[in-house]
Amino acid sequence: MNLRLALWTLVVVVAVAGASRLAHAQAQGEVTIGYQGLPYKAPGETQTGIQVSDGVLLHVGAGAEGGYDSNVFYTDTDPSAAAIYRATIFGELTNATRTGLAKALSFDARAGLQYRRYQFTNTLPGNAAESDYANAWMPTAGLALSAGTGQLGFGLADTFARIEDPPYASGVSIGHVITRYNNQASIEGRWSPGGGRLTTMLRYTNMIDIFDEVSGYSYANSNTNLLMLDAAWKWLPKTAIFVNAQQGIIFYLNDSAATVGKESSYPLRVTAGLRGLLTERTSAVLSLGYNNAFVSGGATSTSGFWGSSFAELSFTLRPSDLSRIVAGYRHDFQNSVISQFYNADTVYLSYVQQIAGRVALDLSGRYVRKDYQGLLSNAGATARLDNFFQVGATLDYFVRNWMYAGLGYSLLLNDANLTGAADPNSADYTKHQMFVRLGVTY
Amino acid sequence: MVNAKVLLTTTFVASTVFAQGPAPAPIAPPSAGAPADVSVKQRPTLTPEEMVNQSREYAKSMNEVLKRIQTLQDQAKREKDIIRLNCVTDKVVQVRVNISIAEQSMAALQEAVTRADEGERTHEFTRLTIVNQKVQVLGAEAENCIGEDLSFVGATRVDVEIDPNIPTYDPTQPPAPGIDIDRPGEASPLAG
Repeated sequence: MNLRLALWTLVVVVAVAGASRLAHAQAQGEVTIGYQGLPYKAPGETQTGIQVSDGVLLHVGAGAEGGYDSNVFYTDTDPSAAAIYRATIFGELTNATRTGLAKALSFDARAGLQYRRYQFTNTLPGNAAESDYANAWMPTAGLALSAGTGQLGFGLADTFARIEDPPYASGVSIGHVITRYNNQASIEGRWSPGGGRLTTMLRYTNMIDIFDEVSGYSYANSNTNLLMLDAAWKWLPKTAIFVNAQQGIIFYLNDSAATVGKESSYPLRVTAGLRGLLTERTSAVLSLGYNNAFVSGGATSTSGFWGSSFAELSFTLRPSDLSRIVAGYRHDFQNSVISQFYNADTVYLSYVQQIAGRVALDLSGRYVRKDYQGLLSNAGATARLDNFFQVGATLDYFVRNWMYAGLGYSLLLNDANLTGAADPNSADYTKHQMFVRLGVTY
Repeated sequence: MVNAKVLLTTTFVASTVFAQGPAPAPIAPPSAGAPADVSVKQRPTLTPEEMVNQSREYAKSMNEVLKRIQTLQDQAKREKDIIRLNCVTDKVVQVRVNISIAEQSMAALQEAVTRADEGERTHEFTRLTIVNQKVQVLGAEAENCIGEDLSFVGATRVDVEIDPNIPTYDPTQPPAPGIDIDRPGEASPLAG
């Protein structure tokens, strides 16, 4: 059996258990940091799939995992532990062949459902009802279309996810479940005149992000629009220098946003750099530029040299066909639910190794320094600085290339400093999750 | 009747005999050191009608050679054999020129036969014979034109070896679409 490294390509992050994020290390073979849980789509380039008609494959998958969560409600004060069970099923219809070759018009449609259950071992704070947090159903769906000739290309994609996360507990009370509906759609056009040395892409992305009313975050229901123009010149076959410009428009759907002071913004980012292979086994992304949140209404916005700078540096090393190491650093700002935005400095590391053709090991970690700007309200805090750590580990044994059994581990640690708050560390938490898992993806 | 037959027979026989030219002048006694002319000049022994018929045969043969060479020319064009095509085309041109000369000679031969001009008739017939031989030689040369198959070592083929260590995906593309979302930070209850 010759297993290829399975690099789950995510179109949108699904925050299944904590803050799992994409690190934009490479265009394809995206790197994921942290424990990702069970897969919800088929990995590419495998000899699997059910031929339902000429040129159409159906991939199906199911998985189950059971484990332990040391801190369900993200609090260091009397954390609640629980046994956790998750089950996932998905189906994916695609016209990509078993060899992975794309046709002139390719499509990929998928749908999946995850069920999660907590089995608490102790009484919940404030005698909260376990039934309010025990069960969660999280559907996902996605569609991608791509067409192109040698010079022109077109792409269309949409992804939907319903995410249900346990709330924060504070002292003797627990909030409501944080239920979130997120839909991201994008449309892009690609143009590569002549021999393909020069490539350009124009992409529009729209995101609708809705929080359930009872979660307490519905004021942040937002509509994000992002227009991106990217032009790259391949001075080597797989190495290019590029310029990239992104202009966003973020506005909020509820009037309550204005009440809490959450303002619309028009984030701009202009960068230039290099991406692609340095050698046959190493690749890099180097990007420097300018960004600005352009928050409206006179609210706090990005400022200063460091606040207006964007930097991304990422290296990928493939010591062999069976392993990959990624290390990177990123400085930018991100839109925030509890403030206007936060300046983020991220360092991440990922190591993936295939062993003996049947075992796959995935280790990853990241550190994010979140400097919140324009806090909306945080127990009297005037400033907030979070040091967030995330570690993930997965060890899978492939009984067949479509059946796996393994172990998973996730660590989420947040060290918050709320300046001016009665308890500056009230947002601290440490969360361990351990899983045993079994699944099939065909 | 018998007398006419004998007369005609005598006439035909007389005309097919390679006769001498005009009675040569008396040979002067050789002087000491002067070379003697021992060459024998021959003339065709065909009758005028036979000459005409033979010339027609020559014309037919030459046209057949021309057709054959044109066939070879078309074949070379189809095979895109430039070298052979140039060679055969050269032969075609020469054959056409010789056929044109032959046609002129045939017309002159007809006139000479009509005028009973033996000298002119012989001259033109000899000319036709030589032209026909030339065309036959050109035809043989066209058959032996060398093409690319003997000098051509094969079509150019470019083999590209790609280092298997190089990833198959294109790392120069921008990141896939998608906006990162993460769990919102803990906050005091806010209006929602």
